[in-house]
Amino acid sequence: MYIILGIMLGLLTPYLIRVIIGPSVWDRLLGMNLIMSKTILIIILFASIFETTFLLDFAIIYALSGFIGTIFLALFLSRRDLQKVRKGKK
Amino acid sequence: MQLLSYIVIGIGIVFMLFGVLGIFQPKKDFYYRVLVACKIDTVGFLTIIIGLAIRHGISFFTGKLFLIVIIMMVLNPLVAHIMVRSAHNSGYAPACDSERDKHETSA
Amino acid sequence: MTQVLLIFWIISAACIIFCRKVYRVIIYFGVFSLITSVIYLSLGAPDVAMSEAGISAFATIFFIVCVEKYYSRGRGLRREQAQEKQHKKLIFTKFVPPLLFTLALFGLFIYFVPTGYAITELRDQYLQMFMIDVGGTNAVTAIYLGYRVYDTLFEALLLVVAVVAVTHVSWLGLDQIPDGRHSEIENSAMAKFTMRIICPIILLFGAYLIMNGHISAGGGFLGGLTLATFFICRYLVLDIYDLPIKKVMKMEELVFINIAILPILAIFTGLVYVVADVAPFFQNIYLIAMSFLIGMKVACGFFILFYRYIAIERL
Repeated sequence: MYIILGIMLGLLTPYLIRVIIGPSVWDRLLGMNLIMSKTILIIILFASIFETTFLLDFAIIYALSGFIGTIFLALFLSRRDLQKVRKGKK
Repeated sequence: MQLLSYIVIGIGIVFMLFGVLGIFQPKKDFYYRVLVACKIDTVGFLTIIIGLAIRHGISFFTGKLFLIVIIMMVLNPLVAHIMVRSAHNSGYAPACDSERDKHETSA
Repeated sequence: MTQVLLIFWIISAACIIFCRKVYRVIIYFGVFSLITSVIYLSLGAPDVAMSEAGISAFATIFFIVCVEKYYSRGRGLRREQAQEKQHKKLIFTKFVPPLLFTLALFGLFIYFVPTGYAITELRDQYLQMFMIDVGGTNAVTAIYLGYRVYDTLFEALLLVVAVVAVTHVSWLGLDQIPDGRHSEIENSAMAKFTMRIICPIILLFGAYLIMNGHISAGGGFLGGLTLATFFICRYLVLDIYDLPIKKVMKMEELVFINIAILPILAIFTGLVYVVADVAPFFQNIYLIAMSFLIGMKVACGFFILFYRYIAIERL
């Protein structure tokens, strides 16, 4: 199980690189979303290693409340770019 | 049971590695990466959780895992959908499409 | 394990410091808080990690709204351009000292581990007596609802002050409440269908966290945050502004008075300790009632903050 945990930790690096070098803002958002799902997997693997069920509550909270930040970022970014496009046309 | 669970988890990890390959495609735009990454990521996530459920048998642990499976199966595609939707709304055009559009409008 | 995570942590923190574009910084902050909560978990503090997970989503929303308001007046763009010009000149003086400082801190954290023991009388007394005095099997909840009631009271008071400040400043010079901005995903059929599945799960899970706070990690604050998440999902899909915000504000004040009254009745008069000798089961009822009140308080507070922010943002 520790090997799988190590692989998950290693998988964080390419996503972090994508977040840092991503050419557009949307690539960064995508990388953040992928890092979030990896985080949930790491927590579940923790719970599986220690055989405790209350850590799974933590994973459920992440799954339920983490997506809201991403959705709001996407919405506000689209509004901001729309304003830019309108100003450019004028 | 242990061996079977490890095999299933291994399959999930292979899926995720393919997803990493899809992210680092040069000369491709955001829509290509979203298509590859989010789809394969969801599949890998579900496969690894199924492997863990096989490892723990029928127990309270597996019940909570089932709840997580439902939530992630619903929410992960939703987030990808909203990201692509707002990227399209904001006027971020796909690379090949814009070239074709230019060609059509010029012709 | 922890060391690898700490390296990622430092990288994302450096990104936050050295980046000069606001939306990138918000995304880096999201990554930073994700990694932070895993570090808390691996260092053995699941309660704190859960709070970090709940707060990071709300912090992202509030950051975005503030930035949006700042930029809509056109002040931010000019300042950012001016900063970029300065940034190119000062890159070495800005880059080198913080990097050295973080590297030194990192080395200290790995190699300096305190070996001696501190004085542990208070800790021993708390850990031995919390089962008898306050009840419940979760030491954190027992201590912060039993021995440290002042902490809880002042946290709740701070939230009340924040909510009152936001509402009264935002209604300055306005005769009526503005409508606010519509969320643009309400036209998407897929989002509507998904939220219909997710909303009941969120409500159930919030109630579970509040009712289960005295046994496992979680408790009133996290349950309240989860309930507030439900309202945000409702805004995203149904886009409702006919909610009675003034009634919710009154309800929040009532709940705060109750939070003050209940510990005075239960702990300062010594009622809990008297009942504890007769029937230990009733202590759990006190804990559940307190965490229910705190959960309602936090849910109302974040609900008002969120709707006020969205409504201000239209102006």
